[in-house]
Amino acid sequence: MKNSNPKIILTLFSILIGVLIATQMRMKVESIAPVTLKSIQDIKVEINSTNNEIIELEKLIKQREDELAIIENISMGDQNIVDILKEDIKLNKVISGRSPLEGPGIRITMFDNMNSEIVGFDIEDALIHDVDILNIINDLKIAGAEAISINNQRVVSTSEIKCGGPVIRINGRSIGTPFVIKAIGDPKVLMASVNAPGTYGDTLKSVYLMGFEPEIQDKVTIPAYSGSYSYTYAKPVGEGD
Amino acid sequence: MKKSRDIAALVLVSIFLGLILSIQFKTISKSVGEGILPTQRAQQLAIELKKAQSEKEAQTNRIEELENKIEQYEKGGVEDNLYAENLYNDAMKYRMLAGYVDLNGEGIVLEINDPPADVQYGEGYSIIDELDLILQVVSVLNAAEAEAISINDQRYTAFTEIVRAGNHIEINGVSKSSPIIIKAIGNPDTLESALAIKWGIVWQLRNYGYIVNLTQDRNITIPKYSKIKTFIYANPVEEIVN
Repeated sequence: MKNSNPKIILTLFSILIGVLIATQMRMKVESIAPVTLKSIQDIKVEINSTNNEIIELEKLIKQREDELAIIENISMGDQNIVDILKEDIKLNKVISGRSPLEGPGIRITMFDNMNSEIVGFDIEDALIHDVDILNIINDLKIAGAEAISINNQRVVSTSEIKCGGPVIRINGRSIGTPFVIKAIGDPKVLMASVNAPGTYGDTLKSVYLMGFEPEIQDKVTIPAYSGSYSYTYAKPVGEGD
Repeated sequence: MKKSRDIAALVLVSIFLGLILSIQFKTISKSVGEGILPTQRAQQLAIELKKAQSEKEAQTNRIEELENKIEQYEKGGVEDNLYAENLYNDAMKYRMLAGYVDLNGEGIVLEINDPPADVQYGEGYSIIDELDLILQVVSVLNAAEAEAISINDQRYTAFTEIVRAGNHIEINGVSKSSPIIIKAIGNPDTLESALAIKWGIVWQLRNYGYIVNLTQDRNITIPKYSKIKTFIYANPVEEIVN
């Protein structure tokens, strides 16, 4: 009797704990199932980005309200529709890259690896490719560049940067080495974005031994986009069919 | 003797159970936030997200309303004035070039899905790790004279950056994740063949294991750029020749 007592108790308690844990698990599993830690993280990121968008939209609303107020007051004030439109054209010309800009920034000179010994197995590794320039341009945009040009060709939204044999084509024109990339923006930030250890520019320079010489300049002049442009396929939404 | 062994076993099992439970709780509270059950947290976040999204929608509607009004006034203002009408057309053109107008037209849609996770090596890789592929797609589309490009409904402008932020990418400062959907307006045949040329970018993507869908579409809508661009460093050069 004395010997069997703890065993019974042990068995009883084990069963009790087992049942308890099982019910607990069942209850939780049902409600937790669709929620993983990753999905919570994802939602958090999404909320953050939506909130950022809202802030941007608020700015836009403010601007549009101001515009509307100005237009509504045309009859009373000394501004008229011509002035407003002229102002609008001037602003959008700057944003679309149709007017030359100047300001502080950096100038990067890039040329192929001229050493007789090359890094890697392939002669291709010693040449500058379109991908290299695309990455540098992207890094400059991340650093807040306000205007970028490559060999005096303005980079706009429709600029292609493609290898075409020994040259690179941009804005429908061919350019050869050395490539001179100019960017206007905060010179220190721009410099860091291409020159700091671990950046794409730094890798080009120190691993692939390409010619890559960024320098800060007090005044950079970037020309306007020189081609003419007209839309044949795209139509503003709400006009035509 | 036998009794003490029983007790020892019981103690051991209890300690073990306690350890497991405490580890479990620690991990969860560390990764989710203390004192809050993940389900509650998730529900909270979902509500928050919904709120943010509806606010965003309200704002978008408000902007649309304002823009319609402005357009009406502008059109009304220039109606009987040829000079002003020309100016208005010019203004529209530069707004289009700057990316501040929704555009539609025929073109192509390119969808890039991540490769399925590799059973052998665990988690697969993602387009997020190879952003320069997206940059190349955009460059190829521009070479094929695309007139407007969007990446996951973000207009590609002269200032559009593509940057990795953790498990997401940010385009125009907005978080996006895989699949990447790139739309372009232009000559559909030219655009398609430029992407699908042998050894071209689509071939390259498929070679890396991405699941790529390339289709022509007669009616593509590309949204406008929704940020105000302000210049802090750059100043317009006075144009001498015009």
